[in-house]
Amino acid sequence: MPFRHLFFLLVLTALSNALPTAAESADSVSASSFAASKRPNIVLVLADDLGFSDLGSYGGEINTPNLDAIAEEGLRFSNYHTAANCAPARAMLLTGVDAHLAGVPNIPEMLPPELQQYEHYQGVLGDNVVTVATLLEDAGYHTYLAGKWHLGAGPGKLPSQRGFERTVALADSGADNWEQRPYIPLYDKANWYADGEPYQLPDDFYSSRFLVDKTIEFIDGNLADGEPFFAYLPLQAVHIPVQAPQTYIDRYRGVYQEGWDVLREARRSRSIELGLVPPDTDMVRMSTTDDWSVLSDEQRRYESKRMPVYGAMVEAMDHHLGRLFDHLKSVGEYDNTLIIFTSDNGAEASGSADPLSFAARQGPTSLGYNLDYESLGLKGSYNTISPSFASAAASPLSLFKFYAGEGGMRVPLIITGPSVSKAGEISHAFSFVTDITPTLLSFAGVTAPDDRYRGRAVEAMIGKDLTPLITGEVDRVYNETDSIGYELAGHAALFQGDYKLLFTRGALGDGHWHLYDIVRDPGETLDLAQEQPARMQAMLSAYQRYARENKVLEVPEGYSHTKQLLINVVYHQFKTPALIAMLTALILLPFWVAYRMKKRST
Amino acid sequence: MKRVFSFVVSLLAVLFIVMGVRWLIAPDGIALEFGLILGDGLGLSSQIGDMSGYFLFLGISMLLGVVTGHRPWFYAAAILLSLTAVGRTIAWLIHDAALASQIRSEIVIAVLLLIASRILGEDD
Repeated sequence: MPFRHLFFLLVLTALSNALPTAAESADSVSASSFAASKRPNIVLVLADDLGFSDLGSYGGEINTPNLDAIAEEGLRFSNYHTAANCAPARAMLLTGVDAHLAGVPNIPEMLPPELQQYEHYQGVLGDNVVTVATLLEDAGYHTYLAGKWHLGAGPGKLPSQRGFERTVALADSGADNWEQRPYIPLYDKANWYADGEPYQLPDDFYSSRFLVDKTIEFIDGNLADGEPFFAYLPLQAVHIPVQAPQTYIDRYRGVYQEGWDVLREARRSRSIELGLVPPDTDMVRMSTTDDWSVLSDEQRRYESKRMPVYGAMVEAMDHHLGRLFDHLKSVGEYDNTLIIFTSDNGAEASGSADPLSFAARQGPTSLGYNLDYESLGLKGSYNTISPSFASAAASPLSLFKFYAGEGGMRVPLIITGPSVSKAGEISHAFSFVTDITPTLLSFAGVTAPDDRYRGRAVEAMIGKDLTPLITGEVDRVYNETDSIGYELAGHAALFQGDYKLLFTRGALGDGHWHLYDIVRDPGETLDLAQEQPARMQAMLSAYQRYARENKVLEVPEGYSHTKQLLINVVYHQFKTPALIAMLTALILLPFWVAYRMKKRST
Repeated sequence: MKRVFSFVVSLLAVLFIVMGVRWLIAPDGIALEFGLILGDGLGLSSQIGDMSGYFLFLGISMLLGVVTGHRPWFYAAAILLSLTAVGRTIAWLIHDAALASQIRSEIVIAVLLLIASRILGEDD
């Protein structure tokens, strides 16, 4: 080989060795610059039916160190409102659009047939809205969901088709926390799906542990590619059936033996001490609250176990969320993760005041549950809290889930993460569930669509970006004249400035509109309707405008959400047998006629 | 005797019709009773169509036999049930299927239908 060829080969070899190194170096520069400017991850945790004062950082006696810690690092909201029940809240949370326009004005389980004939009254997320998951996925985020979906399970409606890349999702309004079992006879089975396919839960299932494990699994699955993630974690805790591991239940033995009134008062005092509500906050005593002093010893013993299971379920939730936060720290993602914790609605009061009565036992026992004292809260046990203890969970607010009182709509909201400059502070600014999606998009640097997305018409978001509030630039995002309307099952409200217009139907209402200053009187104890007629009239007009613009339909005369649920359960259980009987009778009819004619002729 | 046979055959016919209707309206429930997992697409169409057709034919032909007194209706139902029993036996012998306990009922009803054709059948 001539010398010059050898020299050329050497140069070529040297170059070929050098080139990948240069490329790797360029890659590494690019990766490190990307990491430096990496968009934040987002973890959105949604508790189910958590009351306003259930967390330690919101005045509760329940041990919630992990959520209290993120509250200390971040910003707590004392005046955050959501819808008073599940699916409408989730629809607004994930789209920033009013529940009526999003197709979910109520949960489908409680919709009367008169309203179900309207396209936007199906209780299923419409195709005219785009979810925050879709927007973030299109912007390069990995998007995960582990938990309750409840926004539709038909074609195109599962979360895997609404922007979530990896999912394990419960399609129903709730389910057992220990196994794959329905909690009301409306469902034949608990309908879980994973990545769009029916899913069988593992044998060692406990909801909070399993859902956090899945979230960690999803996050780890794509961590190596450096793209940010959006993890939506809608937990089952503390929806009925209220269930928890025994070790947690044991910690609350004896804690609630003084009853609900003492607890409601204790939580009010603690909320005042924490600065969540004004020092002179008054409360109403709800008509659904029983007299603890007249209960028999046996009833008190049973009630004193129902609430500890509830406390235990909240603490178990907190423990598993702590595992998630620790995991984010261990993989180096915690400091770049925006964490939002809230609840879909206020405390649930659907549990019977006398769960051992014949009528109250029928639903749970038909599903194979027991209500035994000893195993209360464990696998196979059906537990709830009574309306009386729910009043304590909502303390110091009025009413609870399903109702438009503050106890149904005002829930904890904690936001922590990069750019949250008000560590440990409390924001008293009004905020609404539709604000969450615009806020997440703002943090991710994604522009919300106006009225078209991917070539199709979509509803524009009504929520406001809370970022200026979180970063400390402003004290409020809604001004005195902005109004937020709300309607669910005929219960209605309108928020404007510090005021709220409230209408409660049925046994707990009086059929009249009331006006409250919910900043100075969050307990809704003093009706200002007579005192401020001009404001009352202006807000009534604003509500009528809201109802018109959002296609709110009136519920039928005599409608009650509990009665409708019962009707729908009965309809579901007997619809198929009735159809079979009718069709069989139709087939048999000509034979019976022929038989009779033959008999007559002979 | 005629009344007893009319009643028994009619009762069995109604049961078969109910099974056929269940296949039409709520196939997921009845499929499990037959050890079947519901398919989709063409499979589901075949399962619902064939099974509902089978049971409705059985029930209706038995009722036609009772009402008209024409023996061929009893024969048709008996042949269908007998062939089902034969098919189940072959499935057990050749295809490693379970020896279904239903074979017993199918043979008993087929024999009952042949007797019914004698008792309830009318000469033309």
